[in-house]
Amino acid sequence: MIEIRDLTKVYKLNKKQMKESRTTNPRKTAVDHLSLTARPGEIYGLLGPNGAGKTTTLRCISTIIRPTQGEIYVSGHEVQKEPEKVREKIGFLTGDIKLDPQFSVDYMFEFFGRLHQIPEEKLRARKEELFTYFGIKDFAHKKMKELSTGMGQKAAIAVCLAHDPDIIIFDEPTNGLDVITARSVTDYLKKLRTEGKLVIISTHIMSEAEKICDRIGIVIGGHKVMEGRLDEILQETGSEDLEDAFFELYRQTQGEE
Amino acid sequence: MSGIRQICGKELARVFYDKKMLFSVFVLPVVIMIAVMSLVNTLGRKQEEDVESHRAVLCLENAPDGFEELLKSSGISYTIKPFSDEGEVQTMLLEGEADLWIAFPEAFAQMVQEYRQGDAVPQIKTYYNPSEDYSREAYNTISTGFLELYRQRLLAERVDDMAGLTVFTVNSDNPEMMIQDDAKAGGKLMGMMLPYFVTILLFAGAMGIGTDMVAGEKERGTMASLLVSPIPRSAIVLGKVFALMIISGISSVIYVAAMVVFMPQMLGGSSEELGISLVLSPSQIGMLAALLVAIAFLYSAIIVLVSVFAKTVKEAGSYITPVYMLVLVLGITTMFTNGTPKEWYYIIPIYNTSLALQGILTQEVTGGQFILTLGVTLVLGAAMVIGIAKAFESEKVMAI
Ligand SMILES: Nc1ncnc2c1ncn2[C@@H]1O[C@H](COP(=O)(O)OP(=O)(O)OP(=O)(O)O)[C@@H](O)[C@H]1O
Ligand SMILES: [Mg+2]
Repeated sequence: MIEIRDLTKVYKLNKKQMKESRTTNPRKTAVDHLSLTARPGEIYGLLGPNGAGKTTTLRCISTIIRPTQGEIYVSGHEVQKEPEKVREKIGFLTGDIKLDPQFSVDYMFEFFGRLHQIPEEKLRARKEELFTYFGIKDFAHKKMKELSTGMGQKAAIAVCLAHDPDIIIFDEPTNGLDVITARSVTDYLKKLRTEGKLVIISTHIMSEAEKICDRIGIVIGGHKVMEGRLDEILQETGSEDLEDAFFELYRQTQGEE
Repeated sequence: MSGIRQICGKELARVFYDKKMLFSVFVLPVVIMIAVMSLVNTLGRKQEEDVESHRAVLCLENAPDGFEELLKSSGISYTIKPFSDEGEVQTMLLEGEADLWIAFPEAFAQMVQEYRQGDAVPQIKTYYNPSEDYSREAYNTISTGFLELYRQRLLAERVDDMAGLTVFTVNSDNPEMMIQDDAKAGGKLMGMMLPYFVTILLFAGAMGIGTDMVAGEKERGTMASLLVSPIPRSAIVLGKVFALMIISGISSVIYVAAMVVFMPQMLGGSSEELGISLVLSPSQIGMLAALLVAIAFLYSAIIVLVSVFAKTVKEAGSYITPVYMLVLVLGITTMFTNGTPKEWYYIIPIYNTSLALQGILTQEVTGGQFILTLGVTLVLGAAMVIGIAKAFESEKVMAI
């Protein structure tokens, strides 16, 4: 279970960043008093436009960055108080998490498995299962730098799931993948859900959210503006599909400002 | 903390599975060091031999009878160059065509022969060109060496008892005049060179790998995957520092071994010729090893600490350069300092290690100085490791 209570994340900008975003305010509130709960056996989707704060939220859950305010409980462990306990439970994946280019997929899988202190036997079984599922076996001995984007992404997913985490945090799972690879990834996420795992993803692709997410949290400007199952969201906004609902919500928040 | 072993293992694998890396870290620096030193020495000796075997070109003016015979019999090889006037000799000396001009006064032999008390003493003038190696050599052997012999010869003709006039000689028959402990001399020589190699090669060798370990990992985007692993940040830091330490430790052992083995070649002569030998006692070896391990730890910590604050390897490189300069200055000043080091010198990190390395080799370091050096080095290294772990906690520094 993931429980976010009143999460706020403020980035301190340096001069260069201030110039880049054309602001004189050295503080950037990326996530603003956001709360949500995601449960085992569901795929929770954070849907929002660029810069909404999705990645920031997922990074806070993964203990990579610290919340400015608020608490996040992952399987009952608070991210700031017991970060190592949290990291044991999660598998964190993003398009920009990369594996050492000069090592083989095999090596990286075993390396991370050992970091998680997985017994050798179990690690071998996991490897067999994951490598077979993602069709990695053919290039398992190749160095990461020799792989294509899709192969690399598959390898990274397999490596991040080596320790069979209960909670999978996935920032833009299909970013940069072709439809076939993307489908195999989303299918795997569904498989994880049926195994009773908690999957939380971020996306700005409406169709992806519609198809695979059990519940969707719509984030705009660091605020969670709506949450619920697809039908609930459509009903509440009186829209035909998610895209219409999204635009409706987006229009409302713009109106407020 | 089992994570330390995994991290360390991965960093070592990165170097040891890569043949190019192995070569450039462990072999190349040694080869370069030996090649440069031998080249410098061989060239130096070549030149020396060339000068020694050169036939001195002499210009003689009013040379008395018998002078040339005596010169010939003294074993000096020379040729005589005729000349017509003073100006010509001078140009020849200037242009290196002649090496030495010996001008006797006219009727020199007669002046010597008919000398009475109160007469002017005849003067022989010699001219040479000190910026020409051949000329300088001719001046040394003939003007200051041979002419003294010639004087003695003429003197012997004038007085009966030469011994009465000589009063004393210095080392005319004393082959054992050099009294030194060969082992200590060898130690002194190596003590001069060791700090140089330790600082330049050890630090420089670890620099490239160390910056890559941290800044490179950030640049490649692989750091985040480590940071979400269930191991403490300090385990990541220690794993990396230890890996760097092992690599630089191994390379320092190779450097020192190569130095001992190839010292004669580098100095251009066998150890017997140089009158030195290097025999280390087990306790000396133990102390050296402890210091090298400690300094490898400190250097590794320094390099990792600096690289933590860089986003790219290139940036890390530019941060580390001034640090390297400082280490260099601290490390090799011992090469140029003489006398007994003051006690408080042993508190200055890096410098104290150079002093102690030297002291161990010349058997002059005290137990207290050694312990102090070791302690300062290790404590500073540990403090840096703590600093690095702190930096790892900072999202600003890690830029993730
Ligand atoms: N390290 C950082 N330092 C400063 N500002 C940051 C940092 N990371 C993100 N931001 C800012 O915080 C805001 C939210 O960023 P975030 O990456 O969470 O958005 P996102 O929802 O993931 O967007 P996208 O769909 O483009 O990935 C943005 O305005 C971004 O510029
Ligand atoms: Mg994002």
